[in-house]
Parts: sequence; structure tokens; C-alpha cells
Amino acid sequence: MLRRRAIVGGLAAGAVAASPVSALAKLLAVGRRPSETFTLANGLQVVVLPSSRAPTVTQVVVYKVGSADEAPGQTGIAHFLEHMMFKGNAGGEPIDFSRTIARNGGRDNAFTGFDTTGYHQTIASDRLELIMRMEADRMANLRIVDKEVIPERQVILEERRMRIENVPAALLDEAVREQLFGRHKPYAMPTSGYPDDVKKTGVNELTAFYRKHYAPNNAVLIVAGDARPEAVRKLAEKYYGPIASRRVGPRRRPTEGPGDLPQRVTRADARVVEPGWSRDYLAPSYRVGETRHAYALQVLARLFGGSETSRLWRSMVVDSKLALSTSAGYSASSLGLSSFGFNVHPAPQRTVAEIERALGDEMKKLLDGGVTAGEVERTQNQLLAAAVYSQDSLASGPRVYGTVLTTGGSVTDVDEWPQRIAAVTPADVLAAARHVWRDDGSVTSLLTPAAGTR
Amino acid sequence: MMKFRGLLAPLIGMAVAFGGTGAGAVDVKEITTPRGLKAWLVEDKSAPVVALSFSFAGGVASEAKKERGATSFAAALLTDGAGSSPSQAFRTRLEDAAASIGFSASSDRLSGSLRVLTATRDEGFELLRLALTQARFDSDMVEQRRGQFISSLNQESQRPGSVASRTLTDTLFAGHPYASDLAAVREGLASLTADDLRRRAKALLVRDGLLISAVGDIDAAELGRQLDRAFGDLPQGAAQPLPPDWTPPTRPRTVVVERGVPQSSVQIALPGIARDDPDWYAASVMNYILGGGQQSRLFNEVREKRGLAYSVSSGLRTYTKASLLVVSTGNANEKVGEAIRVIRAELARMRSEGVTEAELADAKTYLSGSLALALDSSGSIAGILQSLQTDKLPRDHLDKRAALIGAVKLDDVRRVARRLLRDEAMTTIVVGKPVGLTSDP
Repeated sequence: MLRRRAIVGGLAAGAVAASPVSALAKLLAVGRRPSETFTLANGLQVVVLPSSRAPTVTQVVVYKVGSADEAPGQTGIAHFLEHMMFKGNAGGEPIDFSRTIARNGGRDNAFTGFDTTGYHQTIASDRLELIMRMEADRMANLRIVDKEVIPERQVILEERRMRIENVPAALLDEAVREQLFGRHKPYAMPTSGYPDDVKKTGVNELTAFYRKHYAPNNAVLIVAGDARPEAVRKLAEKYYGPIASRRVGPRRRPTEGPGDLPQRVTRADARVVEPGWSRDYLAPSYRVGETRHAYALQVLARLFGGSETSRLWRSMVVDSKLALSTSAGYSASSLGLSSFGFNVHPAPQRTVAEIERALGDEMKKLLDGGVTAGEVERTQNQLLAAAVYSQDSLASGPRVYGTVLTTGGSVTDVDEWPQRIAAVTPADVLAAARHVWRDDGSVTSLLTPAAGTR
Repeated sequence: MMKFRGLLAPLIGMAVAFGGTGAGAVDVKEITTPRGLKAWLVEDKSAPVVALSFSFAGGVASEAKKERGATSFAAALLTDGAGSSPSQAFRTRLEDAAASIGFSASSDRLSGSLRVLTATRDEGFELLRLALTQARFDSDMVEQRRGQFISSLNQESQRPGSVASRTLTDTLFAGHPYASDLAAVREGLASLTADDLRRRAKALLVRDGLLISAVGDIDAAELGRQLDRAFGDLPQGAAQPLPPDWTPPTRPRTVVVERGVPQSSVQIALPGIARDDPDWYAASVMNYILGGGQQSRLFNEVREKRGLAYSVSSGLRTYTKASLLVVSTGNANEKVGEAIRVIRAELARMRSEGVTEAELADAKTYLSGSLALALDSSGSIAGILQSLQTDKLPRDHLDKRAALIGAVKLDDVRRVARRLLRDEAMTTIVVGKPVGLTSDP
């Protein structure tokens, strides 16, 4: 199963089946955290998520750009630019972004995904103005210089060694993506970039990429925590308001897979001790493909393989003992196609053929017999409970809104997520499984030990 | 791709003021239940959720030689069926209550947590009671977990960072219960029986030494009732014996473990400082300046100036009977030698020159505020309270911490740097294929 970042709603706890219907109603009645949204004249969308738990505030700016927006031969540039955002000379003055945040008692970080690049800071709420001023400054005034790019390139290559080249499963993941989405296509090119591309990325390329994608009308500002919406609006007008909007081109994503599936990928690696088996299917997202299946697929993933009481776990770990663990995963929040994946960690001495037969039987059982109203309802309760718990975390609101709003979704999509999950029927789940579980949309992969030096 | 990860100072404590600007305090109550249990409580109605964090005195280091591995193994099985509910039924009850219960073992303690919704609180605490007092240890679950534990040890042996951590503890704590003693653990995992695990759980799950913290949508009276239900039936018992004192190394040592990876994982360790040492706060300030964040000297010299690493940091680690200062990094095999030279030079420079007034002021500001930033969820706040209790800090520590950090002087940092940053006590672990570096004979 492919590695993923933020998943809307998440897969966490469970909920209430003693009287499932009333329990569902109770969870829905809890409601979502109060949010307020508005858009500045220059197109910057702003979301405020107030909470009085701690005297701290979190600012997140997400840009509608990620590694899936890169051109072949320029892989890794979205991530490279994310690093340079901490180093550039803004407004002609040297900045030291993170040091200034830390000097004020805060912490900051950033991330790059396939569809999203995000920057976040958490700090005492009386320093909100400082971080809004600084973030707005680097949205408009970043200057990238050679002196900073040269050592940072080495840092980025070290990051790739740590996350990818040192990790056999991550190398296999890259190979699977190339098969599933098609070589040199979005979601196949690694976010960390191919080393050859990273080595030839310099000031000119980075600056051009920044100018092309970093603009208020291509970003979302999210402020969560101890802040009043009126105060946020005033500060947003003051610091982000003057930044001119810019014409931003459309974001292109393929609507179909490469057309030569199914494929198999094996990575035999001397460093591997425990084998791993996975299968990934191309799947619709909220935006691309048969999008009507997007909510039912979330229920399907949880019901079929999302916990230790799921069908797959009970069948392969508890009953037949073919596997030490199993899982299923799906994320609908993608601007392009998504994937639906299974992981199986085979028990010792078990063969790939046995694993594939058992999984196939379990899938067929579902495709032939469908799912019961009871198991769908239990699964919905679990998904909705996870949404309640996410209200208990200050970090989770910005994460969810940031993901949805940079992948073509709206605030309404976030707020109505529980109702839409609750509306999924057993027939919807079956239709979604029939649509996605097709051999001609899959890549099966195996990670296996090989002779040689570990 | 995160730009930074795991680089923030692993300090325990909580700030109530930010650089003197003032902010709301966290109101920690201590309650005593009708059956005599004590707990810390922060009532917080932000969400309809209750989080509990608790721990028992005695962890992996109190295992007998022949039961190595039993603490973590038993901990995992506590939620694999209890009372009349076998594993699948127990897990279904947890899911239906939207509750999660988890246990984990460290060297010195067995820790647990509960998270439950207000609406399903009774069932959540009832399931906790069952896990603590009536875990089943059914043979099919013992075998399932056995297979998973053995496999996860195998997987750890694939990861250079895990191998480096284990090699570090095995080198520093050779012959002491804090060593990981992998061979004995593997033997234990292969042979421990359900009865062995039941016995181990019974020995650990006692009221003597139990610490409880609760956060969320619950008042003192209700918490008292629920705690009595979950923990009240546990025997008074006796806390596990403490490990013997540890003798720190007195000569430098380098250990290289060969692995076929392009990036070596590096850990450099020195004897650290006890949590109750009067110089703890000076050491925390020193560590922050040395390698505690994105603006530390190590970060600047190793990453920003030279591009030798993506991640480089230092941290203070404390055990009941030992303490360490550990620098961690990862470098391309051909750069390991240079990175280690730069790190050692920075340790030496801090030892001989101390830190500047500006560095001291920045460190104080950051450390005073850093813990409030971790007040993310009920669970994370309960975890912070639990750390304070484990460290035997007073309930009002949250109000005092900023002043304790603020009182650190340049001379204090210099003194503690001279005391801690000693070449002759340095242990260096490298896992990978470092160019030009070999183990000491």
C-alpha cells in the first residue's frame, strides 16, 4: 500500500453500537468546531478555527502546488523551494525565519506533498501579528541566492537518503508509483525528487517556480487556536492584503491510468529481513474518476481492512493465520486519481500464492455477498468518532482544511463530511468495491530478502 | 516532506508564561478517591473527551534474566481480551465505545492510556478495569503477539537508526539491566508461556507506585468514581525493585556496525545529568543551545553551513538510575568522518568557551514557552502531567518552571558544560558503511 500523508477524517477510534442509530445521531449532533471563512480582495482564502484551550495560536499557509505540479526533469523542485523559504533574503534584508520564531518562544515547520505545500508556526497568541507579518513577507518577497542553495542541496540529498534510499520499502514505493500512475506522470515522480534532477536545480529554476505558484490567490491562510476572527481579519488585511494577485495556470492531472496494468513489481533487497506484500488499485478521488464512490470507498477501506476487527484481519490473521498483520487504506483527498491499497505482512513460511489466494477469496466474498447494514453502520460510527476526537486536537483542524482546500474542495466539503459518510449505504459500498477492485487497475508488489550484505 | 523532525528539545515541564508576556495558567488539581487512589486532574471542556495517562513502577529493567521480553509482551496482551470477552469481542466493545486503551513498557515503568468520549465514559472505564484485572492471555492471542513481536525485532534490525540506538544502550549499559540484551529477549519471546505473562502482569499491576493523570470533560467527583472502578481492585502490592547504580564509562569508545546503506546513522553519547540535579535547568539550557532546535550550534555548523546532514540534534535522556546526553545525526557514508569531527569540535568549543549572553537569552525565551506549545489534545496534556509526576515534580511546577529556567546564569551553563562535555567519556556509534572509520579494538 502506498505511503500517504494527511487523510481527511482519519482512521482512528470506533463508536457506539449498542443502539447504532441513536449513537450515530448523537455523534452528528456534537457538531464541528466553529469556523469562520472569508476571502481577501486579492483572492487569499482565510479560515479561522477558534479554540481557547491554550494561550497559543497556529498559523498555516498552504499553497495549491506540490510535487505533482512539477515538470519531468525538474522533480523535487517544490520540496527544494520549501527548504529555500526558510533561507531567502526577503525584501532585501537577510532573514532567519525559524530563529526569529524560536526567539519568540514558538516553533515552525513545513511540508511538501503531491498536491500541497504548507508552512506552519505555533506561538503564544500575543505573537500572532509577528508570524503573520513574516509569512506574508516570504509569500511576496523571497530572494533565492546561490550561497544558500549550494549547501541546502546537500541537505536535501541527505534527507532523501534518510527517507528513501536507506529504506527498502520506500524505494519499492517509488517503483510502484511509476507503474500505477505511469512514468514521469504526476504522483509517480517522487516528492523528494530524483537525485539527478535535484543536482541540477538552481537559483533560476527555483525562482521561476516560486513566481509561478506562490501568490495570494493560490494560497489558503488558516489560523487556529486562541484568536478572534475579527482580529485575524484585520491582520490578514494589513499584511497579506497588499500582496498583488497573479495569474496562475490550471493544475493538470491525468484522468486515466497508464493503460498497461496490471503489473507486478518485486524488490529483492539484501537489507530486508521480513517480507512484505502489497496491492494498489487506481481509485477515484473527490475530484477525478467516478467521484461518487469517494465516500463509500472510505467506509470500504475501514470495514474491510482498517482495524483488528476488520474482515481482512479476522480472516488472515485470526482465522487462517497466514499473516502477521493486514491493512487497507484509501484517501479521497487528491486533485488527481487516488489509490486503494492493501498491505499484508506474511506469516513465516507462507507463500505469496497463499496470500494472494486468501485475499482474493475474501474480496470475492464481499463482491458476491455484499456487506451488511450492521457492519456499515458500525464502520460509520467509527469514522464519525474519529471526527469527534479530531476536535480535541488543535493540530488536526488546520491539517484537514489545508488538505481539502488545496485539492479542489471547499469548507462545506469539510463541514458536511460526517453527513456524507453517514449517508453511505451497503449498496454504495458494494458498488465502490466493484468499481475499484479490478485487476486491470492494479499493481502488486513484493518486498523480499536477497543475498548480499545487509 | 517535513523540513524538520524530532529536533525539539525533549524536555519535560510546562510553561505558563511566554517571555514575560503572561498567559493563562493550567489548573492542576490533586484528587483522592473514596478508595484512596491519588490522581492529578485538569478539567477541560473543549471537547466531549476524557484522556487518562497512568503508569506503574517497574519496567523492562526489572525483568529477571529468564523472563526477558515479558513486560512488553504482557503489556500488549492486556487489551487482547479480558473478563468474559475474548480478543475480538473485547476489541469490538472498545470500538463500539469509541474508546482506545493502550499499554507500553519503558526501562523503568509500565505506562497506559485511555481515551473515551463523555457519552461512553462508563464503558471505557469498565473496559480499563477488565484489562487491568481480568486480562485473559488466551493462547491464540499469545501466539499471535509472539509472532508479531519476533517479526518487529527483525524489522528493527533493518533500520539503521534502531540498530544505532540499541547498540548505544548495549555498549553503555553492558551488564546492567538497561542494556537491551537482545539475545535473551529473543529467547524469552520464543519460550514465554501464558502463565509467565500472567505472572509478570500481576507483579507489575499494583497500587504501590501507581501514578494517574486525567484531562478533559470530567469533574473530580466523577473521576474519583471512575478511577475506583478501574484501579480500585488492584492489590496494594509492592513496586518492583530498582535497578542497581550505573557506572558511566571513563574512556572513549567507537563502535561501527556495518549495514549496506548509503547514509550512516550516528549517535554520540556522554553521561548526562539526573532530573533532580540542581544543575538540571542549566544543562537544559546548554543542550538547547548545543543541539536542541533549528537554531542550535550543531544545526548551524553541521547542516546549515556544511550540508553534512538533514537531521542533527542533541537531547538529555534520564532513567531512574542513569542519564545521558546523546547527539544524533545521519550522514552520507563518505561524510561521516567530517560530521563527527565538526560535532566533537562544537562540544569542545562549548566546554572551553561556554555560551554567549544572546544565546542564553534566546534559550530561556524558547524553553519557557515550549511546553505550552505541546498542549495540543487532552491526551498530550495528560502525557505531560504524567511526565511531571514520574519526575517527582510538584503540582505547581507549571507555575514555577519559567522562573527556574530564568534563573540560569552564564556561569551555570559554563560549569555544567565543563562537567558534562568530556571527551574521555564519549561513546560513538555508527551504523552503515562509514568511509575511513572502524570500531575500536
